[in-house]
Amino acid sequence: MSAVLDARGIGMTFRNGDELTEVLKGVDLKLEPGELAALLGASGSGKSTLLSIVGLLLRPTLGTIIIGGQHVEGLSELERAQFRNQRLGFIFQFHHLLPDFTATENVAFPAAAPAGGITPAMRSRARELLVRVGLSDRMDFPATRLSGGQKQRVAIARALMNKPDLVLADEPTGSLDRVAAEQVLDLMREVNREDKTTFLICTHDEHVAARCTRRVTLKDGRVEGVLASQ
Amino acid sequence: MFALSVARRYLLSNPAQTGLLISGVALGVMAFVFITALIQGLAIRLTDDVTANSAHVSLEPPTRVARVLPSPDADVESTAIVSTFQRRQIRAWSSTVALLRSETSVSAISPQISGSAFLVKGEAVAPVAVTAIDPLGLDAISPISTEIVSGDSGLGADGILIGVRLAENLGLSAGQPVLFRTDRGVDRLLIVRGIFQTGLQSLDERVAYLSIQTARPLFLLPEGVTNIEVKLVDPARAREFAAFMAEATGLRATSWQQKNANLEGALAAQAQTGTLIQIFSLISVLIGIASALSLSANRRRGEVGIMRAFGVSKRFIAAVFVLQGLLIGMVGASLGCVGGFALCSWLATMTKPDGTTALPIAPNEGGYVAVFLLTTLGAVLASVIPARSAARLDPLEAIQQ
Ligand SMILES: Nc1ncnc2c1ncn2[C@@H]1O[C@H](COP(=O)(O)OP(=O)(O)OP(=O)(O)O)[C@@H](O)[C@H]1O
Ligand SMILES: [Mg+2]
Repeated sequence: MSAVLDARGIGMTFRNGDELTEVLKGVDLKLEPGELAALLGASGSGKSTLLSIVGLLLRPTLGTIIIGGQHVEGLSELERAQFRNQRLGFIFQFHHLLPDFTATENVAFPAAAPAGGITPAMRSRARELLVRVGLSDRMDFPATRLSGGQKQRVAIARALMNKPDLVLADEPTGSLDRVAAEQVLDLMREVNREDKTTFLICTHDEHVAARCTRRVTLKDGRVEGVLASQ
Repeated sequence: MFALSVARRYLLSNPAQTGLLISGVALGVMAFVFITALIQGLAIRLTDDVTANSAHVSLEPPTRVARVLPSPDADVESTAIVSTFQRRQIRAWSSTVALLRSETSVSAISPQISGSAFLVKGEAVAPVAVTAIDPLGLDAISPISTEIVSGDSGLGADGILIGVRLAENLGLSAGQPVLFRTDRGVDRLLIVRGIFQTGLQSLDERVAYLSIQTARPLFLLPEGVTNIEVKLVDPARAREFAAFMAEATGLRATSWQQKNANLEGALAAQAQTGTLIQIFSLISVLIGIASALSLSANRRRGEVGIMRAFGVSKRFIAAVFVLQGLLIGMVGASLGCVGGFALCSWLATMTKPDGTTALPIAPNEGGYVAVFLLTTLGAVLASVIPARSAARLDPLEAIQQ
């Protein structure tokens, strides 16, 4: 089976006027199907930047990315959007649910928007996912009436809606208390174990990292312990 | 369409704000409807006033120079020109009347002798413009008999009808005799049969009506008439009809529009003012929509960012905002049209103390279709700027905020 993610020689240099900030200096990262990888590193080491690049939200200055066997460099803006929609899932530190929609509608949204509406099939898949994340009694609640932990669980369900190859999570437990963080982490582990969904979770939290199947640490713009490919 | 239900959801998420925005649009549309109905109503009333009480086409003899040469009875006419005593007249008027009768577009015909005279009562002398007509066709051009306030409208062989102010000035009342002296120097004692009040000072002070038979010897016109007044079924076609009659008879034909050129100018000026107000009310509506949607797009940056991250297309995002504009425009314009019609209808029922309508407003002429289409289209255009800025949002920036 081929790698879910094969990123090679990723370099990222931000330019602010005359000032150049080289954040990534040749990152190589390969994720196999079913991995639950923690992305670690000091604050400012470029974790979020790498996640955005892998998530096709940011174009790197250098390097190639293959996701699920497909080269993504040549994709147009629209194709990148479609690729994100169909192949990737996102979980952010702040859930960013749509406040005017119910939990079910939020979960179904990534499928509904390109299809032009929520079909009964989408609705039932969204409900299954909500049952799975333990929100069977909150399915028709407006997003604004959920607790922080519940919102983050809805966000996880949403990330899984289109059966992505790779879920990218940026500090998913960062704004939750211990108990809620634990639930969210357990949930991701469970999905990973049962569905073989690959996760790349960016975190500061040793406790989170300890429960992942793999640790990737960014240091000085490279993945620690891995030699940069030329 | 999913974008439509998202747009609707966004609008319903803050009912108070959306309600306020729609009310603003509706008020602007009402202003548009009001000014349109008022200006149309004014134009209709002014036109009606003019066409209801005056001829639509007047036929008169052409100027002498033009008439002498082609006239079949040139001998008679050329001697007539020499005599300053001879009035200009239409001799062959019965054939002209026959032609007019055969035209279905003609609703009334009134051959007349018009002239100047003085009314003398004791020491008092007043000049009058005399209209001498067939007593049977007294009301053909304007409804004189309905305006009689004293006496009656029966003219008889020695009767005269005068206006109420003239009667006051000369101290005359119905049934009294008055000396009638024409500009030909012919005198005759006539009886004031009736006194009319049109409400127009110039008419009530200066006009007198006689029977055409009475007038013939007084104005030395044993056969001809001085003018033929015509009313048409459709006053708007007076210009064409005048041109046709001039061509057909060689007479000078003047339409009511030509006689009232200043009225047309006034109506055009009024319409221009109206257009200006219409444009301003539409612009203010559109600015309101554009700014409200810009605020909304800004407030929803985070949501838009996450949608974009999830691969929702720029077009979808843009559609959500354009559709909000469309919905606001359509609902606001509909309410504004209904409200404007209700307002105009109510204003149209308001009367002054004397029972006449206070505002000459035409509720049916509010330009409803135009304002609905313009507002809806404008609302869509006004939402394009906020829609584009929302669609162009960098998802990363929006999420990281
Ligand atoms: N658009 C940008 N322009 C310039 N510099 C940027 C930009 N985005 C990120 N950076 C810089 O890149 C570096 C890495 O940022 P990034 O957000 O990836 O760090 P991080 O590892 O996620 O940190 P944290 O753990 O605090 O979230 C930082 O020094 C940051 O200032
Ligand atoms: Mg970060």
